[in-house]
Amino acid sequence: MTTAASIRQASARSAAARVRHALRRVPVHVTVAIVMAIWLIPTLGLIVNSFRTVRDMSQAGWWTTLFPPAGFTLASYETIFQTPGFSNSIINSLLITVPATVLQVVIATFAGYAFAWMRFRGRDLFFLVIVGLMVVPVQLTFIPVLKLFAATGLAGSFIAVWLAHAGYGLPFQTYLLRSYIGSLPKDIFESADIDGANHVVKFWRIVVPMSIPAIAANVIFVFLGVWNDLLIAVTYLGQSANRPLTVFIGQQTTSLGGNWQILTAAAVIQMALPLAVFLGLQRYFVRGISAGAVKG
Amino acid sequence: MARNWTRESRLVTLVVAAILAVAACGGGAASPSAAPPASPGGESPSASASGGQLGGQLNVWTAWGGEELSAFQAVLQPFIDQTGIQVNLLTIRDQDLQLSNNVAAGTSLPDIANPPNPQRYEEWAQKGIMKPLEDFIDMDAYLANTLPGLLLEDPNYGFIDGKHYLLMVKSQLKGLLWYNPKVYTGAAPETWDALVATPPAPATQLFCAAFESGDASGWPASDDLANIVMRQSGEQVYIDWYEGRHKWTSPEIKQAYEAFGQMVANDKVYGGTNYVLSTNFQRGGDGLFSDPPGCLFLEQATFMPAMFVQNDPSLKAGDDFNFFPHPKFNDEFAGNVEGFFDTFVMYNDTPQARALMQYMVTDQAQQIWVDEGGTLAASKNITTYPDVLGENASKILQEADNILLTAGDYMPADMQRAFWKSLLDFTNDPSQLDSILANLDQVQAASYTQ
Amino acid sequence: MDDRVIIAIVAVVGVPLLLVGYIQLGEWLLDRLPRRIAGRMRPYVWVFPAVAFATIFMVLPTINTIFISFQNARGEPVGLDNYVFFFTNPETLTSLKNNILWLVFFTGAVVILGLFISILFDRVRYESIAKTAVFLPLPISAVAASVIWKFMFEYKPAGQPQTGTLNAVIGVAGFEPVAWLINTTTNNPALIAVGVWTSTGFAMVIISAALKGISSELLEAARVDGATEFQVLRRIVIPLLRPTLTVITTTMIITALKVFDIVYVLTSGAYGTDVIARQLFQRVANSDYGRAAAVGVVLLIAVLPVLLFNIRSFRQQEEVR
Repeated sequence: MTTAASIRQASARSAAARVRHALRRVPVHVTVAIVMAIWLIPTLGLIVNSFRTVRDMSQAGWWTTLFPPAGFTLASYETIFQTPGFSNSIINSLLITVPATVLQVVIATFAGYAFAWMRFRGRDLFFLVIVGLMVVPVQLTFIPVLKLFAATGLAGSFIAVWLAHAGYGLPFQTYLLRSYIGSLPKDIFESADIDGANHVVKFWRIVVPMSIPAIAANVIFVFLGVWNDLLIAVTYLGQSANRPLTVFIGQQTTSLGGNWQILTAAAVIQMALPLAVFLGLQRYFVRGISAGAVKG
Repeated sequence: MARNWTRESRLVTLVVAAILAVAACGGGAASPSAAPPASPGGESPSASASGGQLGGQLNVWTAWGGEELSAFQAVLQPFIDQTGIQVNLLTIRDQDLQLSNNVAAGTSLPDIANPPNPQRYEEWAQKGIMKPLEDFIDMDAYLANTLPGLLLEDPNYGFIDGKHYLLMVKSQLKGLLWYNPKVYTGAAPETWDALVATPPAPATQLFCAAFESGDASGWPASDDLANIVMRQSGEQVYIDWYEGRHKWTSPEIKQAYEAFGQMVANDKVYGGTNYVLSTNFQRGGDGLFSDPPGCLFLEQATFMPAMFVQNDPSLKAGDDFNFFPHPKFNDEFAGNVEGFFDTFVMYNDTPQARALMQYMVTDQAQQIWVDEGGTLAASKNITTYPDVLGENASKILQEADNILLTAGDYMPADMQRAFWKSLLDFTNDPSQLDSILANLDQVQAASYTQ
Repeated sequence: MDDRVIIAIVAVVGVPLLLVGYIQLGEWLLDRLPRRIAGRMRPYVWVFPAVAFATIFMVLPTINTIFISFQNARGEPVGLDNYVFFFTNPETLTSLKNNILWLVFFTGAVVILGLFISILFDRVRYESIAKTAVFLPLPISAVAASVIWKFMFEYKPAGQPQTGTLNAVIGVAGFEPVAWLINTTTNNPALIAVGVWTSTGFAMVIISAALKGISSELLEAARVDGATEFQVLRRIVIPLLRPTLTVITTTMIITALKVFDIVYVLTSGAYGTDVIARQLFQRVANSDYGRAAAVGVVLLIAVLPVLLFNIRSFRQQEEVR
């Protein structure tokens, strides 16, 4: 029975039943509202404060601004927009983030498919190693990897940063996708086999379309991780002047932490794009996109 | 259906293979441009061709941001105009880590950057990673013009095998007692005992303090303690202490903690210790300007006015805030003051890097730095400041018997962090002093030998 | 047009083509091989890029790390000294204790809340708006999160207007303000709460994606058969989500073991809140790679049981599908 059908059935019930049904739903809405509020309030505080002066922030809580006299100011945003290099740093962040994301998600999907649906010697060992590596702190890998980049002439280039992000992100991506792809139903693959489909066909025609929600989730997480990264960019960009937004934001505060109020506006600006990616990909998180993906 | 799939997949293969071939060529052409310019402008003696201008490029790392960075850019502007050198400025906060990673991996270093942790000076000087100032700076003039302090012939300050490696470019004076002249109208207390005996009225408490500083919380308190040790027990104890030769449980250090405790006792300090520990040091002055006044005094360095003004832009130097020097404990060590110096090291010996190092210690550059505000010069020749507070602070530095540097900066990182943390723990619970100091002795034993 | 734009075009067009081309070409070559050999080779073609990346960026450096863990800061061999240090130093022992707190409470809260929230939000028509609220903390960098939570935890002495959200709220209820991050009974729970606030969105996105994979026919059929909502949840939804919950739990255990930036920016490990990853970071920053490496190896060993559990659950997944 589809959702539409159940709604139609519900509307066929008596008015009293409908009221009773609506009343029974009140606790659900209240709970949702409470959860949303708990998660929103801290961020709301940040957004409100990003429009206030330091003096106001130290004298009264952010919620007081919601009532007149409001006392909003755009000063923090103006400082950021007027500092030379801002738009350039956004371009650099995109140039780092987009290829690094594509690289990771595609490779992880290949590997996730193989780990989930192919049997081969050493599979469990490979997998164990890959997942275990998630716990290794990246700081411990910097010197050997820098040596490698120096030897290959990649040091200080965007390519080095893409490769490094892919290297550090892949264990987790592979793990996540292997789990999702592994849960796809066997009969679809079996019928494709009967049709004579090879692995490339099965991959593009079954695995990818049916894993869209998981791939979308991965794109979001990889994008976020790379977009917000400072450490890997600083480490592998070397002397290159092409610095991402995170480095630009660091330049707005003094070495003693002065001008910290600018961080509020910077955080709002910084979260805008990943949020847009999330909202843009949200339509892939709906029921039916991998319809019949679970054996009934 | 099956046949369709297979045929389609073959078609895709062909198309992709063709594109790949093209992309490979394109990629081959583009990848060299992605590599960093090898030692930028390193060997460009052709500079003289362009009308006496040196030209070329320089990569410079600083930890500065905001006004500090724009002040540095103002300092650089005449240099850029005169030499035609393009200066690529990067703000990098964890420079020691980035520099040492690059040294370990053999990747390129910035031409000029901050020095590494003092523990690396000797090795990096001997390996030629840091370049000695003697190669390109007129040392007689530099030593004569510059405040003492880092110029001491001490390996801790980058003096290795008879050569200097750290170029002092600007300075701060620490351990000042800031007050609001509209609230505190008395004379400056000359001794520590007089300071702590000052009646707090009309303020509610005598002292303000704020020690939170994110991942470096506790450092503001470490300056308070450093100022006590150097004035109470003298420079030799002070140096031995940060070099790990003087125990934390010794009577000298213990009495310094006890004196520090007079400043941050729960009933002596504005807001109580919880407030001190959870408030960022930038907001340490709030109690000076509150109504009714929260405190009379705040101990902090010469950079503090920038934070007063950040929190309340209407405050004016001299009218709303002023300072007096740290009071003495005894006459013998009254001339010890704590200074902080911003320094640069040259990592690549290029004509451009030499030119900038030489330029930064000229009176022209020093004066621009001072005029931009928020800092004291490293050169003794600079006596004109934007306000009288700067001039007074500069005089204290110039007239000091000894300029001693921030103790924590010369301790191994483990020791420094344990030191900062001990001050937070002690402020939180002064009754634990003996066990806190005993723990510091353990860290000392472990961290200096490694 | 600068170099960057050219690189970008090459990358955005070239990277996907390169990868797609690799697999197409690989399969094309496999098709040319005898069937038996092709079948044996095929999986390696598919996992090669991932394994190659993992080997270069993580496996080899990790092997290097294991060697370094038996050396001191100057690179001289010291046997097990770094491990002895780890298990005897009072600071690392405090950190170890806190990591166990994180492991239990952070992991538990994120998994339970993530499950609860995805199921709850699945029931309302404005689901995507509700999910955005919980997702919102994810794109916030650690530095920005520290700014946010300083506003939340801010402490002013009793009697002054409280500018911190939490103290203002409890002030309205008539309580004295609390120094959340200083007070040793509240600081670890406060930090863990920040972690939960940040990570629940992650669990929600993954669980929610899996939830959408459960066919509504199946659920409706059970309801028609008279199953209560709770029974549907317990007997159908949760068993079907088990692989996903394993993934979330594993990821959160690893996050709890590696937790670093929240503690680093909010308390820097003072007042008994230190964690082992912050200890490790401090050693790396000090170029004390021997002791840092030992911490890394301890982390690796600590995660082993989780890995074995994963392998087992994947085997189960293969058997039942």
